Formats: sequence, C-alpha cells, structure tokens
Amino acid sequence: MSGADQRLPPGFEALDPYVDTWALETADQRAKQRLVTPEAERTAFYEAAKPLLTKALGFLDGKPIGQFDEREARLMDLMLSLAHVSLAVEVQRANEAKHAQGAKHITIVRSAAAAP
Amino acid sequence: MNVQVPQFLRSDATDMAGLGTSPIPAEPYYRPEFFELEREAIFRRTWLQIGHVSELPRPGTFIVRPVEVANASVLLTRGRDGAIRAFHNVCTHRGTQLVSEAEGARTSFTCPYHAWTFGNDGELRAAPDAERFYVDTADCALKKIAVDVCAGLIFINLAPSPKESLREFLGEMAEQLEALPVAKATTFSEYVYDIDANWKLTYDNFQENYHLRVVHPDTSGAGIGPDNPFGYPLSFGFFGPHRSQTIWLNPAATVEPIQGMAYGKLAEFAVGEGLGGLPANPAYLALFPNFFMLGSIGTPFSHTVMPISATRSRGVIRFYWVGDDDSASKRFAREYSTAAGVDIHSEDRAIIEAGQQGLNSGALKHIHFQEQEVLLRHFFQTVMDHVDAYRATLSDPS
Repeated sequence: MSGADQRLPPGFEALDPYVDTWALETADQRAKQRLVTPEAERTAFYEAAKPLLTKALGFLDGKPIGQFDEREARLMDLMLSLAHVSLAVEVQRANEAKHAQGAKHITIVRSAAAAP
Repeated sequence: MNVQVPQFLRSDATDMAGLGTSPIPAEPYYRPEFFELEREAIFRRTWLQIGHVSELPRPGTFIVRPVEVANASVLLTRGRDGAIRAFHNVCTHRGTQLVSEAEGARTSFTCPYHAWTFGNDGELRAAPDAERFYVDTADCALKKIAVDVCAGLIFINLAPSPKESLREFLGEMAEQLEALPVAKATTFSEYVYDIDANWKLTYDNFQENYHLRVVHPDTSGAGIGPDNPFGYPLSFGFFGPHRSQTIWLNPAATVEPIQGMAYGKLAEFAVGEGLGGLPANPAYLALFPNFFMLGSIGTPFSHTVMPISATRSRGVIRFYWVGDDDSASKRFAREYSTAAGVDIHSEDRAIIEAGQQGLNSGALKHIHFQEQEVLLRHFFQTVMDHVDAYRATLSDPS
C-alpha cells in the first residue's frame, strides 16, 4: 500500500490493519470499542501499537492538533484508542470481561478541547 | 478541625470528631419519605455546584442544567458585562420551559409557545400584543436564582433568599479549592452515569477507601500498598458541613508501561501549567451536599452526585485541565487519565447498585460505619442536622 491508498503517515503502515476498528473520532466510541472487542483482537492491537506510541506522539507533537491532515488525525485516534486498550491489557487483565459489564453504563460526553 | 490518624494502626480516636460510634439508621438510604424531606431541607436551600466558568467563556454564552431533585431547569448566562446570572428556565407568561438546548451562544431567548423574548439579563424584552396583558413587562423578568463562583466552580442556591453567601457557606474550603487545578482550568473532560441508588449511598462510596482492595483489585494502583493495605488516608478534616481527607499514595506502586508514560507526561505538563506546586499527597475536598474533588495532577477530577429519587441518582465526573489539548502528547495523556477514571468509577457504580438492592429489602434497620468511614458518619450527621432543622420549622408555626 502506498501513495493515495495510504491511510496513515509514512512509518506507521504496520497499524493499517487496525484503522477500521480503532481509528474512532470520539472518546466514548473508543471506550466502547474496547469493551466489545474480543481479547485476542484487543491484545493484537496493543502489541502492534505499543511499540509505535512514542514514535507516533513524537511525530504528531511536531504539528498543532488543529492542523492535522486526515492521516495524522487517524494516527492520533489510533493512539487514543491505545490509551483505552492499554487499560484492559495492562491493568484489568483477566478482570476485563467483568469490568466491561459495568463500564458500558458510563458515557464519556466530552473530551478536553483542542487548540485551533 | 483536622484529625490525624496514627498511620495505619488502629486509631484510639473511635469517637472521631465527636460524631459518636452508633449504628446508622438504614431507612434514610431508601425511603421516599426521607428523600422528600431532603429535597426541601437540603437541595432547595443549599449552595449546589452546577457548572464551571469555562462553560461560559464569553459574553452571550449560556448553558442549561437540570436539577432533578428540585424539578428545576437552570439557565446560566454570561452577560455583556461579564457577569454570570442564573434563572429558572421558565417563561414567566405561562411557565413553558424557555430554552431547550444544553448550551450555546445567544443573547436573547424566545419562548417556543407565544414568543415572549427575554434578554440574557433575564428582562422581558418583547411580548407579542403586550398591551392586552394586565401586567407590566417590567414585572415579567425571568425568575432569578442566586449564583456565585469559587475556584472557577459555579454554584447556585434555589432558596429565594439564601441564608448565607457562598463564601460563608464554604468557609475554609474556599481557600483550599482555589489552590486546586480547577481554579485555573479552562476546559474539562466529562463522563456521566445513571445509577439505581440513593444519592447518599452513592456519594458515601467515594468517601472511604476501605473498599479499594476488594472493588478495585487492579485499578487501585498507588492507592493501596503493603504498608497500607486498605489505603486509609493520612488525615481527615471537618469544616462545618464539609470535610476533607489527605490521600495516601504508595511510593513503591507498580506502574505499567503506558500508564507510566501517560502520568509522567501529565506531571511534566502540570509544571508548564503552573500546577507544579501541588502536594504529592493530594487533597480530597468534599462539599456538602453532593460534590467532591480530588486535587491531584494526574486525576484532577470533581464528582457530583445528582439525586433523582430515593433510589436513583446521576453522576457527573469532570477532569479539569488548564489549557486546550495543544499537542498530541497532551491529548493522549488526558484521554488516558479520563479513561482510567472510567475504569474505577464503573467498578464503583456496580457495587453501589448492589448495596442499594440490599437496602431496599428493608432487611436492615441499621448499617455500620467503622472508624475509617468517619467521613460518611459526618456526612450522615450533617444530613440529619439539616432534616431535623427543617422538621422543626414544620412543627413550629412561628
């Protein structure tokens, strides 16, 4: 995949298989996706994205959030989904299934505002 | 008054703060009759946290917030003069709810029924065919609600003439609130939940750490540790109807990779946001009746429990931030912190509902608070003081 087909900035092609599921626009969508995704898929995303987190944030920090193009915005959303998924993989571990039952009753209605 | 508890040993202060050690009656946690008393004795006459100044960032902005326990909808506006005003969201013609949006920017509000139009100062600006009414438009302004601000937090008081100012009500708590991130905050993240539980039972969960290791075995993080397996606080404080605790943190807590990265970034950003001077052991400030706030760098959140009925409530949690998300790293760290809060509070919500189901059966005449649940005892006593004072006014016609 290259050129116009590329959905993520160069250097992050390894995350392309996760775009459809995890490049979600709102915090609540990301939180809920974590809750409904089977453990194997969740872990696969974590394992693929975690090694690229520092690189991704370093790359994205070079530009104001409000000026992200579509690919950069997608990469940002993937990393934000990683924040949610890492709580399942790193913190909740075997208790994630039980946790998901309760967490579905909570709705994130607002993320902090983005600077223009 | 501050009560220092000998660290992690059973305290001799079994009668902490003069609150006694008696069992607590269970009925106030589920009986509709008691809820009706609380509605009048507390929520129609006490300062209630309703918003934050960042929600009214410039003249002409407004928000509308429900206060179910008072059957009220509150319209908050910022006028051309910069002042924040609060009104009942009720057209003075025939009582129609005036504004249906939750927020927006508009300097006048037109009733959807007969098109009476009010300014954001509450004055009636125009009414179609006004000369046919038997009342002056000057006497038809929106009904004002007392409003004031402390530490960026907006409070209202639904009493026609509050018996004390917000500053008098907050006392020493005002200064403590003003030292927290919320006082400088310009934005926030928010999540909400509905819960089948009494507002006090819900609120109580967040006033004690006794449950941490059972309900939050994985998410307690630095809140518990071998030196302090229950995560008991370092100290308690009592300030009139309000209370506080100083949170203990385990300096040797295990930190997971992404967790460590997120909270490390938040600590770095806090210095740049003028928050570097916050104490390592955060303050937990609880304002009567239904608001508390944790003043830590990584989790600077407030939690308001809005009563709906004797056995139903609504929770609003806000993480207050200084400055917009001006970088990807900041956005990531803030989202992590908010998501971690959801994890913990969803565990709380589930166990609180289980507690309510048990109480609703009427099987228990009393519940029990241990020494380290003293904030719950203080809260309950404060509720009873208000209810008793209100009952006295009912029986004394003078």
